[in-house]
Amino acid sequence: MALIELNHLTKTFVTKSQTVDALKDISLSIDKGDIYGIIGMSGAGKSTLVRCINYLERPTSGDVIIDGKNLSKLSDSELRQLRQQVSMIFQHFNLLQQRDVRGNIAFAMEIAGMKKPDIDKRIDELLDIVSLRERQHNYPSQLSGGQQQRVAIARALATNPKIILCDEATSALDPQTTQQILALLKDINQRMGITIVIITHEMSVVESICSHVAIIDEGVLAESGPVETIFSQPKTAAAKRLIFRNVQKAEKLIGDRMIRIVFDGQQADEPVIAQLINQCHIMVNIQFADTRNVGGKAFGQMVLQLPDDHLQQDKAIYFLKEKGLKVEEVKNHAH
Amino acid sequence: MPIEKMIPLMTAGVCDTLYMTLVSTLFAYLLGFPLAILLVLTSPKGLKPIPVLYRIMDAIVNIFRSIPFLILLIMVIPLTRLIAGKAYGSTATIVPLVIAAAPYVARMIESSLLEVDPGVIEMAQSAGASIPTIVFKVLIPEAKTSLIVGATISTGTILGYSAMSGAVGGGGLGQIAISYGYNRYQTSVMLVTVVLLVILMQIFQIVGMTIARKTDKRTRE
Repeated sequence: MALIELNHLTKTFVTKSQTVDALKDISLSIDKGDIYGIIGMSGAGKSTLVRCINYLERPTSGDVIIDGKNLSKLSDSELRQLRQQVSMIFQHFNLLQQRDVRGNIAFAMEIAGMKKPDIDKRIDELLDIVSLRERQHNYPSQLSGGQQQRVAIARALATNPKIILCDEATSALDPQTTQQILALLKDINQRMGITIVIITHEMSVVESICSHVAIIDEGVLAESGPVETIFSQPKTAAAKRLIFRNVQKAEKLIGDRMIRIVFDGQQADEPVIAQLINQCHIMVNIQFADTRNVGGKAFGQMVLQLPDDHLQQDKAIYFLKEKGLKVEEVKNHAH
Repeated sequence: MPIEKMIPLMTAGVCDTLYMTLVSTLFAYLLGFPLAILLVLTSPKGLKPIPVLYRIMDAIVNIFRSIPFLILLIMVIPLTRLIAGKAYGSTATIVPLVIAAAPYVARMIESSLLEVDPGVIEMAQSAGASIPTIVFKVLIPEAKTSLIVGATISTGTILGYSAMSGAVGGGGLGQIAISYGYNRYQTSVMLVTVVLLVILMQIFQIVGMTIARKTDKRTRE
């Protein structure tokens, strides 16, 4: 059974001047142990969606079921109990500025009603997990962004939660620090089996660590599924826009006959283009390539400019199809 | 006035002024603090919106804030008699001082609490904190520096009010300034009280700001 289940979730914000449908009929199911990415452009409704998962935002209609409990049926105090099992980390870390690192980590445990000696012992364990032992008596203003987010992660882990919700947790960090934080999250997921839900607008975050992805576009769930499936064969326009964000620009520059080949994982270790040139003696020009390594397999696409000769063109396409690649003509946008 | 008469007079004046100011500030905080917390919690954007209650409290605070202190001082004389037994002297002045200062203090505290980063409050909610926990473990500790600065400013304002009360029978330095300096044309006495008031204000300000700075953890060392 799914650990998190969202059934026909809608959220409508009503203000005096207008009504905004932030979420429209979203159904998702997230299994235990998943690292589930929820991606969308800014304003797509993904932050609202993650706040519905722990009921910081109450959905207008639809159900949120966590570990078999329907959140709409819980009393206030039961809901607070449940939130101790569903931790959250934020874009701007949200640390208590007047408490040091230890004090911040202690916060979640104080709320859970743990005793002082137990809290101190647990803080020591957590400081090792997030490698912040030498910083334990510093205040947030003395820490870098990456260190602050690690404090937030330690705080989130303190009460042994089943789920960690990450709301744009790496968006305020530089690329290198982002990778460190993502590696830490992945490690936590693998070692402790904690389910992680990641809200992001960065494709690279999903590529790095997510097992599943949902694409939210203007409040609607465009697509969801395992990352490999969605990345290799995005069906909806919203998904294509996110995954092939840069491709559209390149196509506009093209004048001659072009084909797009799509990598979907199987041909990762085969030098297809080199074979095409070597075995068929066809010269191709790589106009654009955007391939990535997802879970050890290659995904992405390449746009090739073919020679003018029609026979050679057909030969090239035939060869690539033989290799099991998806080949399609690229429409000429140049005129 | 000869100096040997001036010194005991001024000493008594300073003591009375300190007594009125500090006791009034204390009571103003006892009333103003809960009021401020209620204002923050019940506001439309608060953690527990109760629009009707909020609007009533908001209106009461505004009304008392807009009555000039000198007029309030006279208006509440019957109440002062009821509580303090008489309408003149230092102890009696505490009644109107508290009535004037409590709404002022409430606004000061309210604005300090509203400065707390909403993200931190959301974090506390997401960790399962109840509203009292958020108030005592997040709102007040995080607003600490701003609250101390506010208390410094409030104490200074109340010091000013206490001097004003001298015009209608309050005690302290204000009364000395009016009865000697204004009624008996002893300008030198008035000048001394002014100097003493300036010194008191400076002391409050320096002490308050030093505490605020020393306890603030947001600055890099």
